[in-house]
Amino acid sequence: MNLQQQLIQILQDHESDYVSGEQLSQHLQCSRTAIWKHIQKLKQGGYEIEAVHRLGYRLLSSPATLDEDWIANNIKTTWMGKRLLYYKEVESTQDIAKNVLQQSEKQSSAENGTVIIAETQTKGRGRMGRHWHSPLGKGLWFSIILKPDLPLQQVPQLTLLVSVALCRTLRKFGLDAGIKWPNDIHIAGKKVSGILLESSADDQRVHYTIAGIGIAVNLEKDDYPTSLHPIAVSMKMAAEQTFEREEVLCTFLCELEAIYSIYMEQGFAPIKTLWETLTISLHKPITINTPQEVIHGTAIGIDDYGAMKVEVEDGEGKRSIRTIFSGDVNFQADGSECR
Amino acid sequence: MFNLEEIKQLISLIDESDIQEFEISKDGEKIHLRKPGKVETVVMQTETTIPSMPEIKNPIQVQPQLNTEQASVNIEGQAVQSQQQDANTHVITSPMVGTFYTAPSPNSPDYVSVGDKVSENTVVCIVEAMKLMNEIEAETKGEVLEILVENGQLVEYGQPLFSIKLS
Repeated sequence: MNLQQQLIQILQDHESDYVSGEQLSQHLQCSRTAIWKHIQKLKQGGYEIEAVHRLGYRLLSSPATLDEDWIANNIKTTWMGKRLLYYKEVESTQDIAKNVLQQSEKQSSAENGTVIIAETQTKGRGRMGRHWHSPLGKGLWFSIILKPDLPLQQVPQLTLLVSVALCRTLRKFGLDAGIKWPNDIHIAGKKVSGILLESSADDQRVHYTIAGIGIAVNLEKDDYPTSLHPIAVSMKMAAEQTFEREEVLCTFLCELEAIYSIYMEQGFAPIKTLWETLTISLHKPITINTPQEVIHGTAIGIDDYGAMKVEVEDGEGKRSIRTIFSGDVNFQADGSECR
Repeated sequence: MFNLEEIKQLISLIDESDIQEFEISKDGEKIHLRKPGKVETVVMQTETTIPSMPEIKNPIQVQPQLNTEQASVNIEGQAVQSQQQDANTHVITSPMVGTFYTAPSPNSPDYVSVGDKVSENTVVCIVEAMKLMNEIEAETKGEVLEILVENGQLVEYGQPLFSIKLS
């Protein structure tokens, strides 16, 4: 047990009393300042700890843990999420998924639809190796292994498909969610969820696809670093109510399975239509930062691959259409940022 | 020489018209567009390499299901080059349209550099489209001879990315 775990153990053993900083520092053989620092860390980790002058510390509540049994009993899918691997803390669920795949290669077991979920990630990642903030017990941080029988050219369509399922899920919970190209979910101009797909393929075949998904379910403002305050929001902050994470997860997996089967039967056309009805990215001025240039224009639609078609104007007023496959999309900073 | 916008405009004009075949020359450079039945390809003949076109639009289309040789016709300069490599060289081509990255993040070291030894499972780069990050493996054993595209560049299906000297 590390020091923080020991600290929690002591507080749990004295649930109804206060334990003084003095007692804790003697017991754990460190300074009272060190105790105070560890308490702060635990608070960041989702523990509610009351500190009263002259009395000491008292544990009010521990972070929520996901109820695996409830999920197993209530999930209405036939294959998506039927196998669920639950972890308390991992570096990244994407990496665990890769390990699972490597193991299963040896055992040749089918892993399609396997979900890897963790209460917290220490190295959760977004696009371009950016950090994804995943505090303990507050959100849904998970990866889904998908083994679609598709040519690689079509696999990027899956990222839009996942965003459609997720956006529809959030709307089912009463939230006014919309998709920002290609697959971020926004509520009133702030990001509530991010999706990143990682795959490995050569020109012959797709080895695997792992969809990494983060949903900020019950985060409060204090759970975010201040740098994220202007751009991030949780379901709880948007709706001013707490959501059952298990319910959100089951609803999403069910939605994803249904949309995935439509896609496998009918192709991208119905998904494209759904995406276009849920998006907030079209028909407004946008800026796209790509690794090689900054493009200003108006998004007019997506093509049959899911790439964004942007109308741009050159210096002489001539208009043309650019097709964008990757980049950071920003709405114009003239107040039209929120829809 | 033709710029990208001119070529795009040409394509959309031909696209909307009933013209089946079209050819235009300028400054020793020739563009030939053809719409023969179901399978259409864009053929460009030029002394210099024209940047690959991001536009994928029916009916003039680079068909993803074409084999590598046919699909790389629209970047003929490079395709010819790769075909002329000797038998000891393997060319890794892009399996999809997207953005080419030499490293997993802007602050990370490149996956591989010229002179590095690679084996079948060595990841050599990422190609991204719509936030799908696709790792590409060397699929062969050897040494990186040349990196044929720049970090952040848009690459086409079948475009040569690396040449590998086989060991």
